[in-house]
Amino acid sequence: MSGPRRAEERLGRLLVMLPWLMEVGEVPLADVAARYDLPESEVQEDLELVAMCGLPPFVDEMIDVFVDDGIVFVGIPRLFTRPLRLTAPEGFSLLASARAAMELPGADPDGPLGRGLRKLASALSDVGVHSDVADSSDDTAGVAIDLARPALTDDLAEAVAENAELRITYYSPARDELGERTIVPRHVFADSGNWYVVADDESSGQRRTFRIDRIESVVATGRSVETTEPIAAPGQFFTDADVPRAVIRLAPAAQWVVEQYPVDDVRDVDGRPGWVEVRLPVATPRWLTRLLIRLGPDAVVVEPDGMAADVAAMAAQVLAAYTR
Amino acid sequence: MATKRGDRVERLTNLLALLLETPEPLTQVQITAELAPHYPDGARARRGAFERDKAALRDLGVPIDIETVDAGSEAGSSRYRIQRRKYELADLQLEVDEMRALQVAVAAVRSGSSAGRDAIWKLGGELSSGDRLPVSAVVPDRPELPVLRAAVASRSPIRFGYRGESRHVEPYGLLLRGGFWYVVGHDRDRGEQRTFRVDRFGSDSLEAGEPDSFERPPSFDPRDAFPADPKQIGHAPADGVEAMVRIDVTRAAAIERELGADRVLARHPDGSVDVTVPATNLAAFRSWVLGLLDHAVVLGPDDVRDGIVSWLRELSGRAAS
Repeated sequence: MSGPRRAEERLGRLLVMLPWLMEVGEVPLADVAARYDLPESEVQEDLELVAMCGLPPFVDEMIDVFVDDGIVFVGIPRLFTRPLRLTAPEGFSLLASARAAMELPGADPDGPLGRGLRKLASALSDVGVHSDVADSSDDTAGVAIDLARPALTDDLAEAVAENAELRITYYSPARDELGERTIVPRHVFADSGNWYVVADDESSGQRRTFRIDRIESVVATGRSVETTEPIAAPGQFFTDADVPRAVIRLAPAAQWVVEQYPVDDVRDVDGRPGWVEVRLPVATPRWLTRLLIRLGPDAVVVEPDGMAADVAAMAAQVLAAYTR
Repeated sequence: MATKRGDRVERLTNLLALLLETPEPLTQVQITAELAPHYPDGARARRGAFERDKAALRDLGVPIDIETVDAGSEAGSSRYRIQRRKYELADLQLEVDEMRALQVAVAAVRSGSSAGRDAIWKLGGELSSGDRLPVSAVVPDRPELPVLRAAVASRSPIRFGYRGESRHVEPYGLLLRGGFWYVVGHDRDRGEQRTFRVDRFGSDSLEAGEPDSFERPPSFDPRDAFPADPKQIGHAPADGVEAMVRIDVTRAAAIERELGADRVLARHPDGSVDVTVPATNLAAFRSWVLGLLDHAVVLGPDDVRDGIVSWLRELSGRAAS
């Protein structure tokens, strides 16, 4: 936690905490702190403060809560017995998370998540500006999430659950070749339109991330390898600021690039109506060369210098395949 | 006694309690008189402090009703209250296993915002760290999304800046695909259905209009309405131009998966395969086949093959110019 929390933030947390405390009645302060991700001292301070609140003339104990010897006690609940309704961002975030989770391998539309999601969607349309319930044909509540996944994703997710060791054939775009590896999958995730598997890679002895659509085949070795190491949630390493950038001008026909890849910035080009100039992260020089081959005369590189020679060399290499 | 910082929390809590419990709406003068020790002395300072508190409560999502007094000595001034039924979270009647499933969903979906966690807390749930989940997904967060969802649900038209132009759209639905959020709807100025990427909206320009302003087409699903993607080349109708392409062993298996086994025309001893690929949209086809670099060679028809060859000749000659 950095710096003192704002009054709004503290009140917001209290309005969440109080109804729960009233329901449980008595609970160790440490549990409250862990549950709501706050230091114990702050929980205690906030609860002691709110115990002094109430209604004019402030003689009656309207919020009957006190902390004694590391235990939080709650008396007769009178005020703030129910949580505040969900805000629009909270409702959206919950709905989007549930819908995304329905797209993950192993999700069951008729299971608890599916049922919870239906209750949530109908409640959200009730409390939202307007009711969506009349339109019973709509099961999306206006929000659809498509995490289409390569066929092998489900096998890899199963391997995670079973700590199963796999022999895979993997296409490495950096080396432009197929190779064999032995891995133990630890986590499967979707990010920015692609699916990845985080796995312990036997040859390097390290945890590596593989793009699932580049895995050509999977065979179980029959071994199972437990891990004690925590599996950290993968960070946002694909939009890393350290990745070098290119600046490219795009004709209208090439502007699908803006829709398809993460770009930092798009601006119009003076004197060239319809063209835009984009700045985008470049994972490898080979990726950029390949993109320029696809775009041809519809793209002009502003930065980095010297791309034209790489593009010409690559085009000649592809051309050679036609004359073999 | 509470600290200075605590005073604001105390004042806000008392204001909230008062507005929730009052049998009648109260004016600002009545409210600040009831909570007198908390508010400053001067009338202007008092009003200013009250306005800040009101804004703070609204930021938390507290619905404050305002009505105007129409008679008597206070005619024209505003009166405030909070209706309990609007304030309180509706009971979703979630079973224990449903609540747990939602908790896991929030733990498994990373968005860069704490809103999902806050929602789980309000529902009485608890969030685990999600460290040991076998699968997860990153779902990007955008500040426009809650507004757009509300507009879709309430059939409110929206206005927003997009690539330097003001757009006026009847939003039918929201779709996350390929890592980006899109809004699909009827563009009023162009008289056509259009798709817009939400992260390309101009900053702070989004506004929603009157509810119930349009009809959504029956059984609309944004997943079907999405425009054809050049990558989905294998799903184009079969009656157009088909190109034959040889894919070498390095990419053969992946391409067969992408297109489907029914598009494989021949398999060669060296592991390469010949596939048939729709090429009616020549630009999309070219972009797809060149993305495979020298792992793919167009075998025919001749005009398609010649087109690719002259494109490559042009590019390979560029270094000299």
